[in-house]
Amino acid sequence: MATQPTIRIRDLTKEFGTFSALSGISLDINPSEVVCIIGPSGSGKSTLLRCTSFLEEYTSGEVEIEGRLLGYRRTASGLVRESEQNIDAVRRNVGMVFQHFNLWPHMTVLGNVTLGLRLTKHVPRAKAQEQGRRALAKVGLENFSDRYPSQLSGGQQQRVGIARALAMEPHVILFDEPTSALDPQLVGEVLDTMKQLAKEGITMVVVTHEMGFAAQVADRVVFMDGGKIIEQGPPAKLFNDPQSPRLQEFLDTWKSRNMLFQADGRSPGTAEEGARP
Amino acid sequence: MIQFFDLWVQYAPLMLAGLATTAWICALAAMLGVVAGLALACLDSVAFAPLRWAVRAYIEIMRGLPILIFLFVLYYGGPSVGLRLNAETVGVFGLGFYAAAYFAEIFRSGFQSIPKGQIEAARMAGLSGPQIIRHVKLPQMLVLITPPMINQIIILVKESAVLSIITVAELTKNTTQFVNETYAVIQPYVAAAVLYWLLVEAVAQLGKFVERRVRF
Repeated sequence: MATQPTIRIRDLTKEFGTFSALSGISLDINPSEVVCIIGPSGSGKSTLLRCTSFLEEYTSGEVEIEGRLLGYRRTASGLVRESEQNIDAVRRNVGMVFQHFNLWPHMTVLGNVTLGLRLTKHVPRAKAQEQGRRALAKVGLENFSDRYPSQLSGGQQQRVGIARALAMEPHVILFDEPTSALDPQLVGEVLDTMKQLAKEGITMVVVTHEMGFAAQVADRVVFMDGGKIIEQGPPAKLFNDPQSPRLQEFLDTWKSRNMLFQADGRSPGTAEEGARP
Repeated sequence: MIQFFDLWVQYAPLMLAGLATTAWICALAAMLGVVAGLALACLDSVAFAPLRWAVRAYIEIMRGLPILIFLFVLYYGGPSVGLRLNAETVGVFGLGFYAAAYFAEIFRSGFQSIPKGQIEAARMAGLSGPQIIRHVKLPQMLVLITPPMINQIIILVKESAVLSIITVAELTKNTTQFVNETYAVIQPYVAAAVLYWLLVEAVAQLGKFVERRVRF
């Protein structure tokens, strides 16, 4: 591919003490691509995302954001930890949406959405608020500017979390299990918002347990287990024709659990019409 | 009976002057303590380890030391190392730096009360460390730390009585003078108790006002 990947990950490892959370991950995320990362709990999905944003320091390997190494500086004697300012500069165009929203409870919705704009992009207040309102409109919450996070439902809070990331006009947004903390009836509104973003061509990396979403929205699905990428490909291929026994097993577990609720036993893997054009 | 109250009238100027001295010394010491305490708490979280150890050592020593010993060392020991300060200055700096250790611990508990996820969200929004303290941590923790801070200031006001021993003409010192000159006991100490109570009550009211202001 001629264009430079938005995120380029090479031989990434992360160790927590003696436990290897990631062992040798290589992955490219290309502009406008929507990549969903699936896998069992403890497979390293979230750790991968957190290393990609350098909220977690990785042990070895490289993460590059638009061609710039994240977290470390290359020197003659190897990689050296980068200063906080330079880390901020490299991930300036990376947005993140968290499982537990992580909104700032002492600020209004608009305050949450505009804080980064005002403080790090030095956008004047009035202009920041205008940009913030636009971001809130995108997630359907333009009328909630003056509310506080505690006055919103979980789904609304997560949409504010998405608007907060959007307002900074990032080149890529990382979603760390964005619907896992939500009541089932609130998941839909958040997924719909994300689908809308995907349609607009925003580059997204989504760690998720929502197979239906992955099947419908992802350009590529990455299956992880035991800190490794086991298999990846277009959703239709991955869900209908899994190559590795571990993915097969993972999908079977998911399907049988879903079967309890769906009399016709339809799985997202059969929803070919859901795959993106 | 008339004579009983006469003493109060007669000594009112002395006692009120003592109250004023106690009030301004404590006000300055509290300000110094809060600012220094916040600085200590911020330094406690920097990456450079020796600085953190220095902060911990300072807090441990100050908390382990009776205020009286600290004041003695500053006031009577100071001149032998070339540090000549008048008694009021020793009072402000002594009480202030002493209280700073306690304020630092209150700030630290406040910082720790902010969920890690909020800090991560701020990092991802590009905020620097100081910006996170200013815009994310402090506004939230003020609600939490105002009551213990006010408590600590009240303790500071009452501990300021020890300044009488290093000759500061504050409320307790003037009360002693009142006793020595009149051989009365009840009137001076009742007056002192009432005046201390007034000062403490003023601090408590200020605390309630601040608590209302910082709520969100």
